[in-house]
Formats: sequence, structure tokens, C-alpha cells
Amino acid sequence: MRTHRLALLAAGFLLAALPAKPQSGGELRFVLRSEPKTFDPMLVDEEASETIRYLTGGVLIRVNRKTQALEPELAVSWKVSEGGKKISFRAREGLLFSDGTPFTAEDVAFTMQKLMNPDLHSPTGDSFRSSQGPVRVTTANPRDVTIEFPAPVAGLERLFDQVAVVSSHSPKKEAAVLGPFVVAEYKSGSYVLLKRNPLYWKKDARGRRLPYLDSIRLDIQQNRDLELLRFKRNEIQLINSLDASYFENLAKEAPSAVRDIGPSLDSEQIWFNQVPSAPIPDYKKNWFRSTSFRLAISEAINRDDLCRVVFGSHARPAVGPVSPANLFWFDKSLQPHPYDPQAALRRLQQEGFRLDGHVLNDPGGHAVEFSVVTNAGNKYREQMAAMIQQDLEQIGIRLNIVTLDFPSLIERISRTFDYELCLLGLVNVDLDPSAQMSVWLSSSSNHQWNPEQKSPATSWEAEIDRLMQAQASTNDQNQRKRYFDQVQKIVWEQQPFIYLVNKNALVVISPALANTSPVVLRPQTFWNVETLYFSNQGRGASQ
Amino acid sequence: MTQATPLLSLRLSVDYPDKPSVLRNLSLEMYHGETLGLIGQSGSGKSTLALAILRLLHLHRGEPRGEIWFQGRNLVDRSEREMRSVRGRELGLVLQSPLSALNPALRIDTQLEEAWRAHAEGSRDAARKTILETMSSVSLPAERSFLRRYPSQLSVGQAQRVLIALAILHRPALLIADEPTSALDVITQSEILQLFQRLNREFGIAILYISHDLLSVASLCHRIAILYDGEIVECAPPSQIFGAPQHSYTQKLVAALPRGPFLDFHNDKLGSPASIADEDECAERSAKLSPR
Amino acid sequence: MKFLRQTAAVFLVAIFIATLFAGILAPAPYARQFRESPNALPSRIHLLGTDELGRDLFSRLLYGSRVSLLLAPAASLLATIIAALVGGVAGYVGGWIERIALAGTDLSMSLPWLFLLLTVRAVLPLNLPPAASLLITFGLLGFFGWAASARVICAGARGLRNSDFVLQAKACGCSSQRVLLQQVLPNLRPVLYAQFLISIPVFILTEANLGILGLGVSEPLPSWGGLLRGLENWSAVQANPARLAPLVLLFVVVSCFQLVMPQEDFAS
Ligand SMILES: Nc1ncnc2c1ncn2[C@@H]1O[C@H](COP(=O)(O)OP(=O)(O)OP(=O)(O)O)[C@@H](O)[C@H]1O
Ligand SMILES: [Mg+2]
Repeated sequence: MRTHRLALLAAGFLLAALPAKPQSGGELRFVLRSEPKTFDPMLVDEEASETIRYLTGGVLIRVNRKTQALEPELAVSWKVSEGGKKISFRAREGLLFSDGTPFTAEDVAFTMQKLMNPDLHSPTGDSFRSSQGPVRVTTANPRDVTIEFPAPVAGLERLFDQVAVVSSHSPKKEAAVLGPFVVAEYKSGSYVLLKRNPLYWKKDARGRRLPYLDSIRLDIQQNRDLELLRFKRNEIQLINSLDASYFENLAKEAPSAVRDIGPSLDSEQIWFNQVPSAPIPDYKKNWFRSTSFRLAISEAINRDDLCRVVFGSHARPAVGPVSPANLFWFDKSLQPHPYDPQAALRRLQQEGFRLDGHVLNDPGGHAVEFSVVTNAGNKYREQMAAMIQQDLEQIGIRLNIVTLDFPSLIERISRTFDYELCLLGLVNVDLDPSAQMSVWLSSSSNHQWNPEQKSPATSWEAEIDRLMQAQASTNDQNQRKRYFDQVQKIVWEQQPFIYLVNKNALVVISPALANTSPVVLRPQTFWNVETLYFSNQGRGASQ
Repeated sequence: MTQATPLLSLRLSVDYPDKPSVLRNLSLEMYHGETLGLIGQSGSGKSTLALAILRLLHLHRGEPRGEIWFQGRNLVDRSEREMRSVRGRELGLVLQSPLSALNPALRIDTQLEEAWRAHAEGSRDAARKTILETMSSVSLPAERSFLRRYPSQLSVGQAQRVLIALAILHRPALLIADEPTSALDVITQSEILQLFQRLNREFGIAILYISHDLLSVASLCHRIAILYDGEIVECAPPSQIFGAPQHSYTQKLVAALPRGPFLDFHNDKLGSPASIADEDECAERSAKLSPR
Repeated sequence: MKFLRQTAAVFLVAIFIATLFAGILAPAPYARQFRESPNALPSRIHLLGTDELGRDLFSRLLYGSRVSLLLAPAASLLATIIAALVGGVAGYVGGWIERIALAGTDLSMSLPWLFLLLTVRAVLPLNLPPAASLLITFGLLGFFGWAASARVICAGARGLRNSDFVLQAKACGCSSQRVLLQQVLPNLRPVLYAQFLISIPVFILTEANLGILGLGVSEPLPSWGGLLRGLENWSAVQANPARLAPLVLLFVVVSCFQLVMPQEDFAS
């Protein structure tokens, strides 16, 4: 053992003189934060299973996590036609599944048929289902396959990033994969061991077969503190989506390992209850339905302070529903509402509010006081609420903070509507605005501030409805972007959601790993897993 | 004395759940102002009888049957509320072990006041007055500082006197003393005996003096009742008990006594117990002797 | 012993006075956020440093002490009184009353309090002023926190039920109620003190956990429970050990209570 390590070190010295050349071998380790619920790529609906699908599955089209552009993978080319109803792929030739079965267009057809079978209840399949009716899949020859949906599907091509192709006739079923790794061992509650797929089709520039790594060990570990500890002990090499406080903690000990990669897609926001039937006094409903009131609140909140104090500067003031991290869809013309309590007060005074001493009164003489609910146990939200409380006090508004357990909170915001202001976060995994359809349509149950409306309560909600429908029914990306920019603008002007901050994506990567390039899109650190490798020193440490 | 209606006249059987027939149709009579010694060996049911008269036997899960005529009323027919007004006011009880019978958590004046309030209403001063009187009548220092003591700060003899004070606070017609001297040394024992004698003479309180010690009751009591096997087997003045015991058990008891020249029970003098010498002097002595 | 007791008493009085005059003694309002200096170390301006939001920890400790020191003992007193009544009566009377009472305490100990408290929160309006939520919280603690104590007290009372002095008191004509109140309860005093004392720190900590259910002392009002919750952030504690001050104070105050409480002086 010892001599072996010495030999490796010696080799390291020799190679140091040469230009960096990727080293094969080694085992990468990181943790899954929950038990993977399934290994079937069609049934994935949580992060742990998604991680395994990403590492093992081969897809026709990949969203490059760095450029956010589409790249051909198993398909050498594709074409969308009939306004997003139909897509044709040309499959890459000469590829083998991990068990040696050849890959053909037939496998793609099989995969799509299986995925779209309503009886399977595949969450991935559901994202393709824009309307009722059968999906027609035809293979003209072993290379070409065409899929036709009953109606146009918005952002159709991107959805294929989630579709891992399975073999139509391999006896190993979905265990035969086209991705860089295969599942070798799984011990429930303990770990998943992935081994290099020796038949993986990609090669590096020098013609060497990828991936470089021999294996990946995914330990199942819920506790974040333990995860951090294991990193410090050099037992794991990657941590995704780190908390700001852990980040600071680790930054002191291992400054070269922590990386802040800028604003993520996730946002934190507040919204007022605008449900007409809500069990709150009418005068309060009038406040909450007033655009000026919402804008004034937005202007009274010091977002810079939130970012700096609560998140230790690992957050950016948020503008709207799209994070600046979303390169294509973000509307660059918008700026976060500036912190200006005087302007906020003026705006309120124009609406007939009066500041008497330290208390703001509405035109009817009611003191402006309301409560914010948020989920208990989330330190950041509790702290943000306390800071907003202080900010609003500056303009004479009294804010009461109520932390609730999650089920009670959901009950209040989506069933009884017995709340006034809610503070919650939104996790965005998808770049495409179609994924947010259910939030913006006024008839939807996820239209949080006033869900399931028979007809739009306001003209601007009607306009958002129209724009969302319009962007979904065309396949011209630039046209869609123009529509969705308008949605962002309306939301910015109306503030149904008052966006507070975009948390930065924070990750930890062992310096032993080379060729790393973390990004804000999931899976942040290992999106380019096939080209990751251990540098020489690192390999010694990982033995 | 013998012609008057008895102060107490009872006929009792008592069963315990796991020990039936502790008392079997026992009958006993007592007269006003009389001192009756009840003698029986340990476990013969003396305490059982005492509690049965006060109708407190249920606290020990005993089941009495029979009748208890006290001052012309059958106590068995009384309600609990009526019994409460009898207990402590007309019927006093002094328990066997003075230290455990006093509440360790309460100062003695509190306990005395509690007993006073059970049958009297009035200001603290009124209570205080009665308490101080009673204290001096049981030859305890009638001082505030003494009254402020906790039971643990008393000698056993003092504690026994406090207990007696508790029992006679309302000048009951009958005082039942359940082996009041068994825990005491010989000198204190005789002082307590003299105290009982004086209470009997001064206040005319009839005393049912329970003991397993024949000698100690001999000087005090007008009559002695012998309890054996759940029954009173013999009841007679001391002279007769000592001189001519009838029942074989009594004979055995008398025979077991140590003999000495000072014990001459044929002398009729014992018929008048009041003749015992100068008890005031004794009381004084006890006060001085008591620790602290 | 006496010296210790006096020191403890002086200390407690000093703390009480300090909390009462928190308004004068505190260098800053408890809610004031010095946003330029969050997580500050102790300094002349911030004696104990500041918390994550830049609030002066010393001021928060003073005000938090006021809340917890007044209310936790009050809640504890309430719980102990209820426990004394239930446990005392049950143990003293015995029989089926005791059995019912014990079943009641068992039931209340096994109740899913979480759900009851959730219901309470659901019934209460959201816009509770902090002071009201504070009173409700400690009121709830008092009302719900008696069961364990009641069992202990019941066991004590049962031991006294057959004692000679109870018999003697009854033989003096005292009524059952008076015997219970005047004879039995004073003997339970040491147990009651102990239960009272034990409950105080328990309630202080429970209050902190109630925050999770939207009860508890709400922001920005500080309480010891809330301040202790700040200790969960271990790296912040390492950076500024003065953050342990609430824990130390809690420990000292509870010890002082223990010392000052009258012992069984009747057995001296
Ligand atoms: N609570 C009880 N349950 C069952 N049996 C009892 C109970 N109390 C007393 N006994 C029994 O009844 C009998 C009489 O008891 P008691 O206490 O009256 O005797 P005693 O004559 O007072 O004895 P001592 O001289 O020891 O005080 C004893 O044999 C005793 O075992
Ligand atoms: Mg006895």
C-alpha cells in the first residue's frame, strides 16, 4: 500500500513537467440527500433519482448546463415542425448499450411509446402532454424516428434532456444504459455505487474513451452537517447547493474548495393574499389589491441589506420570476425595485394613507398592520421576515411574524386562505417559461395570490393569461421571448409576487478534482462528469 | 356513680378484610368521670377499638358492626358530619406514638389552632387564649417561642403533652388515650400518668386509658378491663384484678408482674386515685428536664 | 450555606431589577438592527456582540430575561398549582378518584400535544401582538405542563394518606378538605418546590420550541428560549463565545432559585 502510494507520487513528479493530461481512474464520491425512489428513468420525480438518471442515462438532446444551449447527443440532428407538434431525430450510428445491445431508432420509438403510455404515470411523460390524444411514433429506417404529438408542445426539444433512452430488446431492460456510468451496487439506505460504462460512446480529443473516472460512490446522507464533515475529512469531493452559513464556515478552512457561482434560478418572494373570499377584513383586502400599496411595500424593503446580512452577500436582489442566471429568458431591461422608503411613503400618501406619528393609517383610519406567514425552521426566511419587519416599521407599518409548520402553512395559503402576506421560496429547475405556466394562469391552482379564478380578476392578470397562452402556442423562440418579457414587465409593475432575492448557487469542490466547471443549473458540480478526473495529488489523497 | 346512665356503652364486632373477628361482640361500659384502663396484649385489638369508637376505623379498612352508645346517642347512626362535631369536641383521642401523630410540617400552634377551629369560630386571639390555657393545663410552657416550634424541636414527653393538649382543647367528655406512655422513659411516663389523673380530677374528663402495661394503669384507673381474644374477659377495680383475678388470662398477667414491697393492692387506698402526691411539683420538674 | 443563600438571593434580586430597568440599562432597543455590524464580537458598544441581524445581544438578553424570568416562573406556578390540586386530591382521597385522576394525567401525558397546539394556533388570529402571544404561550405551558408533576405529587399524597397525623387531625374533628389543605399540602411542600423549580427551565426551553408552531414569543421580542435557539448556529458560537451568555444565565438563575427556595426548614 505504502510503496504503491510512493510510486504514484513519483509518477506525479514526472508528469508535472508535461502539459496537463487527464488521468483515468479513481472513485468520485458525493452524497445523495435522500434515498433514490426509483432507478427507472421514466419514473424519476425527485432529486436523488434524477442524479442517477443524469449519470447513467443517454439522451437524444442535452441542455449544455454551462451555455444553456441544446447539444446533440444520441441524435446527430433533429428537426421540429408543424409549430411544435412534430419532431424528427436522426440517431447516432454504431452505439452500444452498456450490455452490448446495439442502439437504433427503434429504441427511441420504444422509449417514447413507453413514456407516453398514460398507464405508466411517468412524470417525465406528463411534461409532454399538452392535450389529450395519442402520440404517434414512426421509424422510417434504423436511423430516423419521428414523433408526432396531438398538439404543439412548448419548448419541445428541451424536454428531451429528461428522456433517457432505454433498449427495446435488451434482456436487462432499463439497466442497459447509454450514459457514462452504470449502476453496479445499491444498498438501500446506505449507498449507490456506479461503475464506468466501458461501452460509452464519447471519446476525448486524444481519442480516449470517456469517462475518466472508474466509479462514483453516492452515499445516502440526509444530514448537511455530516456532509460537510465528510468533506473536511476528504471522504467526499463534491457538495451541491450549499447553505450560505455552511459556506462561510468552510470558506475559513478550505478557501480553495468553496465556490460562489453567482445567482441561482431559485428566488425568495412575498405575496399578498388577494383572494376575494379570504377570511380577512375588507379594508385589508383593499390594501392588498392596490397596486400602489404593493409597489410601496416593494420599495420599502431593503433588498441589498437582505442579501448582505441574511445571506452574507451570497445572494442578489431579485427582479422578477426569471433569474439573471437564466441567460436566454431573463429580461435584461428590468432592475430590482430600488430601496426608497420616502418614495414608498409618497406613493401611499397619494392613495390617501396618512402617517400619524409612527403609525400609518389607511384612508378609512385603520392602522396598517398585517402578518407574514412563513415556514418555521428556515433560518433565512425567519431572518428576512425580521428585517422586513424593521423596514416596514420605518414607514409606520406594523408587521407580525408568524412561523408555521409546513402543512399548516400550505393549508392556509392554498385552502383556507387565512393569511395576509406569505414569504416563501420558489425552486426553479427548468429554464423554459412553460414550466411556470401553472403559476401565471389565473385559472390555475398554483396562481398563489388568487388561485382558480373563473375569469381574470384584473385586466393585467387577463393580459398575463393571454401572453402565456401566446408564448406556448408558437415555436419561434424569439417571439416567445418577446411575449414572456412582457409578462415579466407586468409582474414587475404589478408586484403580485414581490421578489426579494435570488440566492447564489454555492458549491464545494475538492481541489483534487480537475476539469471542474460548476454552474448554477443542476447538477451544478458534476454536469460534466464524463470529463472530470483526479489530478495526480488528488488521486493519492482519494485512495 | 354506678346508677347513672353510662357515658359510653358499646357492643362491637370488627373485621378487617384479611383478618376477620378482631373484636367479637365486645361489650364495654364507661361512666362519667371514670378512668377505665383497657389492658390487652399487642395485637389484641385495643387500637381497633379506639378507632371504632371514633368511627374512624374505615381509614384502616376495618368494618365495625354493633352499637356505640355515647352520651345517650348511638354513634353508629350518626352521619359523618355529625361525627365530625363529636370528634375532638366530645370525644378526644391521643395516639400511640407522639412524634408521628404530630404533623412534622406544621408549627405546634398551627396544629392546635387547626384543632380549635374544627369546633370553634372566632378571632386568632380567642384561639390563642384557649391554646395558652390548655398548654398550661398540660404543664407545657405557655410561651410564644415554644408554640412556634416544629414537632422535631420537641422532646418526646413534650410532644405527648402537645398531643394531649390537642385532644382536650375542647374539654371532651371522654378522652381515649391509646398507649400514651409506651414510647416514654419511666420518669416521663409517670409524669404523663399524673397529668391524666389531674385532667380527670380537674375537668372531670372520663378517660379510656389503653395500655398493655397492667402496672402503669393500676395507680390511675378506677376500673380495669382485660381484652383477650376479641372480648372483654374481665372488668373490675384494680384491687380485684390484682387481688382476685377471675379469668385465667388475667391471672397469668398478674402472675407475670414483678413483685415488690411497695405494691400492696389489697390496700383500698387505690380506690381513690386522686391521692397520688403533688403532681404540680412533678410538672415543674418535667418542664425543667425537657431538653432545649 | 446561609452565605450562599444570601448571595443567590442578592443575585436574583439584582437580575430582576436589571430586567425591570432594561429600558434604561440596555444600550440599544432590543429590535434595533445594526445592519452594518452583524455577528459582531463583544466590544465597548456591543457588550456581548450582536446577532445575525446585528441586534445588540446584551440588550436582547436583558429584555429576554424580563420575558422569561417573569413568565416562566408564573407558568410553572400555574402548572404546580394545578398539579397540586389534581395530584394532592387524588393521592389523598385514594380509591376510584385516584384511579380516574391518574388515568387523566396519563392521558394528558400521552395526548398528541402537537396537534392540540396546532389547533390552538389555527384558532388564534394571525395578528397577535407579541405581548399577547407571550401570555398565551406561557398560559398554555402552565395549563398543559402539570401532568408529570401531578403524578409525583399524587405519590407523595398517597404516602401521607395513612399517616398518624392525618388520623389525629381527623380525630380532632377536622374536615377532609381542611386536613388536605392544612395538613397534607404543607407536607408536600418540598415536592411542590421541586416540581416548581424543575418546570421553570423546561418551560423556558419549550417556549423556544413552540416557535416552530407559530406560538411562542414572536419576533422581534426576545426570550431566553429564542436566544438559546441562536446557539444552534455552532460556528457563530465558536466565533463569539459571549453568545453562550443566555445559557450561563439560565443555569445560574435556576441554581439560584434552587438555593433561595426554602428547604424543609421544619426538619432543621
Ligand atoms: N388495617 C388493618 N388491616 C388488617 N388487619 C389489621 C389492620 N390493623 C390492625 N390489624 C390487625 O388487627 C389486630 C388488632 O390490631 P390493633 O392495632 O388493634 O392491636 P393493638 O392491640 O392496638 O396492638 P398494639 O399493642 O401493638 O398496638 C392485629 O392482629 C392486627 O394485625
Ligand atoms: Mg395499638
